[in-house]
Amino acid sequence: MDVSDVAGGPIAEPTVVVDDISVVYRTKNQTPGRTNARTSIVKSLRNRRLGDTAVKTKALSKISFVANQGDSIGIIGRNGSGKSTLMKVLAGLIIPDTGSVYASSNPILLGVNAALISSISGAQNIRLGCLAMGMSHAEIDAKFDDIVEMSGLEHEVYHPMNSYSSGMGARLRFAIAAAVDPEILLIDEALNTGDAQFKDRSKQRMAKVTAQAGTVFVVSHSLGTITGMCNRAIWIDKGDFIMDGTPDEVAKEYRNFIWRMNEGNADYGRKIRAELMASLPEMRTTLLPNGWKRSR
Amino acid sequence: MSIQEKTEAEQTKAPTVSVPVNLVRLSKVGQRPDLLDYLVQLWDRRSFIFFDARSRVQSGHDKTHLGTAWLVLTPVLNGLSFYLIFGVFLGTSKGIENFIGYLIIGVFTFQMSTRSILGGAKSLTSNTSMIRAFQFPRASLPIAVNVRELLSNIPVTIVMLLFVIFTAPAEEITWRWLLIIPAILLQFLFNLGIGMLLAPVLLKIPDLSHLLSFIIRFLMYVSAVFFAEDRFGKYPVMRAIMDFNPVFQVIKVIRDTVLYNTTPSWRAWSVLGLWALGSVAAGLFVFWRGEESYGRV
Repeated sequence: MDVSDVAGGPIAEPTVVVDDISVVYRTKNQTPGRTNARTSIVKSLRNRRLGDTAVKTKALSKISFVANQGDSIGIIGRNGSGKSTLMKVLAGLIIPDTGSVYASSNPILLGVNAALISSISGAQNIRLGCLAMGMSHAEIDAKFDDIVEMSGLEHEVYHPMNSYSSGMGARLRFAIAAAVDPEILLIDEALNTGDAQFKDRSKQRMAKVTAQAGTVFVVSHSLGTITGMCNRAIWIDKGDFIMDGTPDEVAKEYRNFIWRMNEGNADYGRKIRAELMASLPEMRTTLLPNGWKRSR
Repeated sequence: MSIQEKTEAEQTKAPTVSVPVNLVRLSKVGQRPDLLDYLVQLWDRRSFIFFDARSRVQSGHDKTHLGTAWLVLTPVLNGLSFYLIFGVFLGTSKGIENFIGYLIIGVFTFQMSTRSILGGAKSLTSNTSMIRAFQFPRASLPIAVNVRELLSNIPVTIVMLLFVIFTAPAEEITWRWLLIIPAILLQFLFNLGIGMLLAPVLLKIPDLSHLLSFIIRFLMYVSAVFFAEDRFGKYPVMRAIMDFNPVFQVIKVIRDTVLYNTTPSWRAWSVLGLWALGSVAAGLFVFWRGEESYGRV
């Protein structure tokens, strides 16, 4: 089957299949009166039972798409629209409440929030992070200098991490995660923290991954970054999948939407959103079991 | 081939697209592996576990001036306060031969269990950043905490033995002293198992961390750390709890071998061994079953 595929021309093999995933956050909804008025114990207890109910917030609802080899996909959306949650689900760090993600290899997430151990040095953190990702001591020794160079830290690499600036920390994390040569790389806002030199380095790294027939996902608020670095863009808003297309098309619609919302013409903005959502094709996955392995 | 059709269809916005997921090439992300695969993965991460444990032994005390000396100083001060209150003022030392040695072994050995069990139980809640940053078998975390405690326990045990040698009236060093090594290893397994059983529960119900210190305190009282073991003679229930308490059995084994130069009974070893193996097996199984839920928010 694979042979016939190759014969049929340049086939884009899927590397990530996202099948109808939903993530629900459970948070506590505090009663509004609580912050200003002093209430009796009985009342506050009752509030606790009646008002402070656990609220379910949909972070992602019914997201489906396919990413192929060589894709670099930019993900855009307003704050709180579920971009980072989607990244964590793709990386397998959050298990979705419904649906599933299939991937050809273990996706590696690069996030600014992923803290390492702050009391030990950068060099020790490099080793720890690489070991956590399953590398051996010998592999780390071979790549150590590259990682330090990639991070742009020289002498600082032997200082404890709590003496680093936030940009230095983000660079170090980027360098560590990029060290495993992932086939699927997820970058969450990491590019915004670095300086120009670091942005250049990380762009090269992304290009290298896509050139090796891998897939890169980039979350960024900068539309310029996405149109400049990606060949495909996905727009999600409040957990809904709105649009999937070339970066220019998606950026155009997104700008249009934001402009309408800010201008006060929110109804028109919502109309655009609904129309785009309705025009999305519905996706159905069929599992082709591989015969001997138990498929759940 | 149908994948090609699919991408074309997506561009022309067809109403429904069918995507075949070939499980030969693609696998489900974040899925819990079989127990056996899980153990193999854990074994593959052994260098991660050791490195994590080692680097935290060094960095754990960086914020204090005396650094790692506190590893030894804490049980010494603990022992001193117990000695003053229980040994001197309340007189629980009555009928105990070589009370200082008895007390030191009790306090030092019990400390290892306290620190390991608490550390193991909190290993998931205190490492959320690690869990969200990297994909690795999560059981590495409680194991790393316990290995760290075992490593930092080595100098503590040496200090404990030095204390016994120098404070006790003419202590004889015999081959039996070597028996404390298997005893501590069994204690390590027991702590690890209990930690792995508690960690997922603590993640779901954080309130339990407040109860944990009370449970540990109760465990201390039924381990005869600073009084004679027949103190509860009038209460057969307490006596029975002590008999089946593995921490007490470890302390007893070490006291028997180091202080009283007697070979510990087979009963003590079997109670200890069953607890150790049983809790590790149960802990691993329970921890593995919840593996997918630890990343949930």
